[in-house]
Amino acid sequence: MRTSARRIVALAVLIIFAFFFMYPVYWIIITSIKFPKDCFTLTFIPYLQFTPTLNNWIEQFEISGREILKCLQNSLIIGGGTAALATLMGVFAGYALARFRYVRWSNRDIIVYFLSLRMLPPIVVAIPWYIMISRLGLIDTHLAVILAHAAFFLPYAVLVMRDSFRQLPIELEEAALVDGCSIWQTLVRIVLPVSAPALAAVFILIFSFSWNDFLFAFILTSEKAVTFPVFIAGSLHAAGVYYWVLSVRQLLAIGPPVVIGVLMQKWIVRGLTLGAVRGAR
Amino acid sequence: MPFERTKARYTLLMPAILYAIVLTVFPLIYTIYLSITNYSFGNPVVEIVGLDNYVRIFQDYRVSNSLRVTLFITAIAVPIELILGLILAVLAGLFPRLQGVFRTIFLIPLFSTPVAIALMGPNIFYEEGGPVNGLLISLGLPKIYWLSDPKIAIWTVILLDIWQWTPFVFLITLAGLQGIPVELYESATIDGASGYQVFRRITLPQIIPILLTVFFFRFVDCLKIYDVPFVMLGGGPGTSTETFTVYIYKLAFRGFNFGYSSALSVIFLVIVMTIASVLIRRLSQYYM
Repeated sequence: MRTSARRIVALAVLIIFAFFFMYPVYWIIITSIKFPKDCFTLTFIPYLQFTPTLNNWIEQFEISGREILKCLQNSLIIGGGTAALATLMGVFAGYALARFRYVRWSNRDIIVYFLSLRMLPPIVVAIPWYIMISRLGLIDTHLAVILAHAAFFLPYAVLVMRDSFRQLPIELEEAALVDGCSIWQTLVRIVLPVSAPALAAVFILIFSFSWNDFLFAFILTSEKAVTFPVFIAGSLHAAGVYYWVLSVRQLLAIGPPVVIGVLMQKWIVRGLTLGAVRGAR
Repeated sequence: MPFERTKARYTLLMPAILYAIVLTVFPLIYTIYLSITNYSFGNPVVEIVGLDNYVRIFQDYRVSNSLRVTLFITAIAVPIELILGLILAVLAGLFPRLQGVFRTIFLIPLFSTPVAIALMGPNIFYEEGGPVNGLLISLGLPKIYWLSDPKIAIWTVILLDIWQWTPFVFLITLAGLQGIPVELYESATIDGASGYQVFRRITLPQIIPILLTVFFFRFVDCLKIYDVPFVMLGGGPGTSTETFTVYIYKLAFRGFNFGYSSALSVIFLVIVMTIASVLIRRLSQYYM
């Protein structure tokens, strides 16, 4: 009896906090399907307390659809480009660090180098990047943001890939090398197929980091290459208290990374701590 | 060892190292150079002014203000995230079947775009009857001026940080708990240990290394807090939520004062990297 009473209390606490984490998101979702007149009332249940509508969504796409789609597309291109570039370099360097011993700079030194880069405050590199990129005439291009994001998320890719390669049995690769495969053939034909899940996870998580970034995208873009978070940040003052407009845009921003997060659950624990804490599942 | 013979080991490693040198290390050196100049937009003659910018830091009350704001947010938010995340993880550990559900729910804040969270602020904390104050009013409690009272706005930022990052602690701690060998619990139960004793003597000692790592991660990252106070409040009301990064941003990209803002960046870099070095040392041990 005592244990079951405790379990009920434990469950209640968990549910209260699940509510705490869900409440703001739920509120945004229902705001997006409320008529403007209902947006300032304390109502929670569609049909029962207010009449739901898809008007806000339709109107958003009718009025600023082109702008929204362009910024979503920019975010997609930048996220994809960043993820591709960082993952590619991350795979190579990660594999090198997992399998080779380096002497002049030990493996540990190189890892400390990448770990230090991971810890850098973004604002510190933002200033020189802005100056350098405007001198190169690359301001407001996808390439500028991709180059910056790839530099910033590269350490993550290297360390997580290194960690996952490290967990593969080395014998298969050694056998392939002895049989006359080059390192590159071994990597492409033997290692990568086995590491496909880790590869996909790193790619997709970097995509969502890039998608969520505000500072670099805000500084490096102004009009043509504006990413979606930068676009919605700008709409705060334009839209003011038009919560129904904001909520649609917020949901569009949150959607992709949250879906990615939920799908990638298994990888997140190892991923977010650079492999330092291994998830049991 | 077949791995030792090849030249490919440099070809594999070099792109990442060089890319990071060109795009991160050089820019950092450039920042240090900028910090001893008076470089700004609209200033045709760039001169080396030596340590003038650094001297100015000590006379600038907004520097000490932003340092205080940043440290205050970190000192309050991070411990709460840690304790709350640990409690929730231990509780969720009691319900193996429901863990997936809780994990999914708790992931939502963690992966939410920070700007979108910042923009939720005015809606969620709408002071005349939004979803939070409305509930307070209907419970007969006084309204809270979440965004317009300078003394409270910083707590709103802290609350949103807790909302977003407690799940981080939760997920990692939960995974760590699952890594504790079941035999430890079994033998404790046989010996007749109470629930609290099991937690105190078995769970906690096993989980502390993980908690420490998470603590440093949060500590270092929380010092860089920027999106929410900047987008939601612009660092205001007044300068009450102006964190270090927000202040540097304003100096550099509103005032285009690159010399002075670079000097502040260098100071900020030193502060963050000093603290981060503890974490880096910890983490590099995992890679051996």
